[in-house]
Amino acid sequence: MAQAVGSASFDVSSFRVAGFAAAQAAASTLVALAIGIPVTAAVSRFHFRGQPIALALVTLPFVLPTVVVALSIRSLFGTAGPTGIGVVIAAHAFVNIAVITRIVGAQWRQLDPRSALVARSLGASPTRAFLTCTMPALAPSIALASGIVFTYSFGSLGLVLLLGNGSVRTLETQIVRQSSVLLNFPAAAATAALQAIVVITVLVIASRAGRRRDRGAVRPLLPLPPGPAGRFVTIGAVLAAAVVLAPVIALLIASLDWWGALLSDQSISRIGSPLSALARSLSYAAATALIAAVIGGCAAIAMLGGRVGRFIGLLAVIPLGISSATLGLGTLLAYGRGSFDLRSTGLLIALAHALIAVPLVIAIAAPAMANADVRTLAVAQSLGASPSRAFWTAYGPILRIVCAGGAALSAAVSLGELGAASLLSRSGELTVPLQIARLVSRPGEASTGVAAALSVLLVGLVLIIVLVVDRAGRRL
Amino acid sequence: MTEFKEIEDQARPGGLEVQGLVVGYDDVPLHSALDLAVPRGTVTALLGPSGSGKSTLLAAIAGIRAPIAGSVFVDGLNVTSIPLHQRGIGIVFQEPLLFTHLDVAGNIAYGLRRKGLRGERVRSRVTELAAWLDLEGLEGRRWDELSGGQAQRVALARALAPAPCVLLLDEPFSALDTELRERLAKEVRVLAIEHDIAIVHVTHDEEEATGMADVITRLSANDAPTQA
Repeated sequence: MAQAVGSASFDVSSFRVAGFAAAQAAASTLVALAIGIPVTAAVSRFHFRGQPIALALVTLPFVLPTVVVALSIRSLFGTAGPTGIGVVIAAHAFVNIAVITRIVGAQWRQLDPRSALVARSLGASPTRAFLTCTMPALAPSIALASGIVFTYSFGSLGLVLLLGNGSVRTLETQIVRQSSVLLNFPAAAATAALQAIVVITVLVIASRAGRRRDRGAVRPLLPLPPGPAGRFVTIGAVLAAAVVLAPVIALLIASLDWWGALLSDQSISRIGSPLSALARSLSYAAATALIAAVIGGCAAIAMLGGRVGRFIGLLAVIPLGISSATLGLGTLLAYGRGSFDLRSTGLLIALAHALIAVPLVIAIAAPAMANADVRTLAVAQSLGASPSRAFWTAYGPILRIVCAGGAALSAAVSLGELGAASLLSRSGELTVPLQIARLVSRPGEASTGVAAALSVLLVGLVLIIVLVVDRAGRRL
Repeated sequence: MTEFKEIEDQARPGGLEVQGLVVGYDDVPLHSALDLAVPRGTVTALLGPSGSGKSTLLAAIAGIRAPIAGSVFVDGLNVTSIPLHQRGIGIVFQEPLLFTHLDVAGNIAYGLRRKGLRGERVRSRVTELAAWLDLEGLEGRRWDELSGGQAQRVALARALAPAPCVLLLDEPFSALDTELRERLAKEVRVLAIEHDIAIVHVTHDEEEATGMADVITRLSANDAPTQA
């Protein structure tokens, strides 16, 4: 690696690409914040008809495969639509609004709405009360969400390749180019190291900022306020839903004539039957859900136990900063050779997907577990429960809910994952996102139509899963 | 109260005794050594301002945290190194901390089930306590379907169900309205006498302490405790 770091190609091109990718990621983050915070205000705090569906719709782009997102944006604008840096930034913002809504929304639900009312009673206008009272209280979660959005946009691959028209590059595309086209593996390794340094630095800073979040009880959804504020919420929620639904509707229209081809279960030349791919993807999703829920739940329990536990939890979160293709490669090296060869079991993809999903399970489970009142444990013990029994009394119900939610989210991640699956799938055994990617890369209306139909199916499945996750979360 | 008596009879007479108990953080004591004797059937109030270490003392008596020095005896038995679940000490905190996966009856029955009781014995005990604490008709409700006062009474019933020798109350009525607070304070006094329990009640409210306690022990930061 030292040799690669010293090479001219690394110094010149990788640093230039890193600078460009950082600027692109910063712009994507700002756009995501500008849209995400008003959307969060509309869909995360108030109780209104359709609120759970609006929240699930906003989450949808984040858990859909990038190839589906790219295809839906292309379907919306048509093949002659815009490409390049502007569309890539818009697509990154579109995908990452969910991160803002989920992280900032979770803290917003914990703020006492009366603190803004106190500011109003002291003469602050609604805007000033928001800027001087609500925003500072939300700053840690905004910082955390921004860090995560920056990281995703900085390391983006699929959207950049599919929508960037060759003019946009990130370190991830640089790694692919260096390893697959230039065959300069030392340079690719050095670029991967540079990317890891940037990503880990940003994530550490963001998580330190996020740690300052107040942890309080999640408050029930507020009733819709009367007057202009209520109208703002309604319009915001409708707009947010429309922004997400527009590309999905475009996808649906593009798929209309091709459902017969999809449901006939006939093999499409050289990529296999779509229905078999769907069954395969669902079985990987189920295995991923099980593995990720068990590992993530254990890590969340470990994180309750002091410094060593938090260190173990931190280790489990590391995959968050590593690209899915790299995780797939790691899985292949660890479980695909020697005496521990799992290639014939079909578990490799599920294991790689679980590696990607475990940090998400921990992100859901650890704060919920930490928020549980530790005195409940003492109460159970004072009533004669043994330490293990008392632990399950105090934490078991929370753990069951967060693991169920985490498992469902892991299944959604698995259903949409492309990078690791492309590396690990055996020939003739493609997953749904892989089939979509292959179809999209082929010319012809039929390929695009069947890809759109498969994408619509995937959108429906993922939407159902997100609604299930949210339902589990509301029981907390 | 026949079942209640049956459970109580298994315990020896006595109460709570605390000898030279010192609590603190990082081995820095919050106050000088506390000696306390709370016979069964009596209420002792630990009175002191915020930060005087009342709740920390209670946690050490219960076995939630280790004291810097001193010993705790329950019915003459040194329980200082005995884990919380084997001490026979009940606790009610300022918040009800109901088990959210259980309904009211399930919460009250929790300690009875840990004692190995099942079926009718559990049901009759739950009914008995629900009647005594005005919780009749609420047995099937969840924690979020109760008012603050109802939830706190469920917490009290839950702590009383397994008939503890000692009951520790950590400002359990401070979040309730005055009328309910006064009523429950009176009931606690009756409870100590009728059920022969040694009760330690932590509060910062002098009036509440005077109204319900036989003995008041005052705590102030880094001072020696005084008894009145």
